[in-house]
Amino acid sequence: MTHEHGHHHPRPASAVELRARALEALLAERGLVSTDAIDAVVELYERDVGPQNGAKVVARAWVDERYRERLLSTANDAITELGFGGAEGDNMVVVENTPTVHNMIVCTLCSCYPWPVLGLPPSWYKSPPYRARAVSEPRAVLREFGLELGDEVEIRVWDSSAEVRYLVLPMRPTETDGWSEHELAAIVTRDCMIGTAVPSARETAIA
Amino acid sequence: MSADAVVVARRERTGSLPDKPMSDFEYADSGMDGVHDMGGMHGFGRVVEPGSELAYHEGWEPRVFAIQMLVGLEGLGAGPGGRPVREEMEPAHYLAASYYERWLYSAEQRLLRKGTITPGEVEGVMERLAAGESVPEHSDAAMAERMRADLRAVYPMDAPPADVRFDRGQRVRVRRMHPAGHTRCPRYARGALGVIECVRGADRLPDRAVYGEQVTPEPVYSVAFRSQELWGPSEEAPWTILLDLWDSYLDPA
Repeated sequence: MTHEHGHHHPRPASAVELRARALEALLAERGLVSTDAIDAVVELYERDVGPQNGAKVVARAWVDERYRERLLSTANDAITELGFGGAEGDNMVVVENTPTVHNMIVCTLCSCYPWPVLGLPPSWYKSPPYRARAVSEPRAVLREFGLELGDEVEIRVWDSSAEVRYLVLPMRPTETDGWSEHELAAIVTRDCMIGTAVPSARETAIA
Repeated sequence: MSADAVVVARRERTGSLPDKPMSDFEYADSGMDGVHDMGGMHGFGRVVEPGSELAYHEGWEPRVFAIQMLVGLEGLGAGPGGRPVREEMEPAHYLAASYYERWLYSAEQRLLRKGTITPGEVEGVMERLAAGESVPEHSDAAMAERMRADLRAVYPMDAPPADVRFDRGQRVRVRRMHPAGHTRCPRYARGALGVIECVRGADRLPDRAVYGEQVTPEPVYSVAFRSQELWGPSEEAPWTILLDLWDSYLDPA
């Protein structure tokens, strides 16, 4: 982690940036919070914990029917099997898309999100428009993401208001027969696992 | 540190009682049926905007994220926790603040409430930094290791009791309520008719537990609502909204 502090800033720090740096400075001076502990947390979510983890879970479920069953019935255990788990993933539930059911995840009250498999949420997920509209006009929100679903598809919006954290298991694209687990994981984007996108055999995930 | 010791450590530190009576804290006048409860609100505009795919936009944001986690896990703060404290922000401030600005607010508030820092101290350091001082470094490898272990550990809810009030398929009505404190029952669902999807587990009612009350875990259910029940008629095909609700929020219907 490169520290912002101590470096020359190309423009004056904003009031909130100055306040953030002051709080870190105050806590470091007192020995209450260590610089390496801050770095450790930042690095954990920059390097180890992100949507690449969830993509591995999805790809495994696509190639291993028994794993898929475990994932849908006891998600915590199935996710732990692949070495993932932690804060904001204490009670994982995986919901499966089918030709007639499309799931999407929101937290209208806050920003609850399954960190161990998806990392920290994108700005839009935490933003007022998504929190307001995902429950009241999900089809309009999905159209903004370029996803148009037929009226025969039931949209199920999971508002994670308690301690359960949800992950969407998308449908495997039909053109991917014979693909390796590794190749499959590469097309599982973060948004596919939130439910604002569906995987495409022509797209590669942005890790 | 053994795995069990880590479990005890995070549980004690995250579930700890406030260190001073809640009456000593100042709350926003708005209470907490606040502006953070956004489900169904109009006027916020588009979801997808340039840059909205990013988790962070400025270099200080990940560090504030980490500081907020440290305040909680290292037991440096007091009060009902970061999330309820953010909900106490005045509505205009909440909406004007960026996401991690709210986290900065809650971290600072919790430190103040415990007395870990005192009013005016942050402003004093801001002046020194503005005058050219740099942020000092402090090293504590054990603290870094504790954070890695805490953030990697998993603490599931309790299993539901055998005698839950509602079973799958049963109709329930969400209670009408207007709490002045933290709640996980969104306004848009209050008074609405839903159907029990399943029982998720047992958990302490946050409306009371975040203020340090000793409460017995109660069942938490996923409850399914038809879109027409919550929002009335729509030109769009109907959809389903599922919410995780504590037993205390529900009545039989």
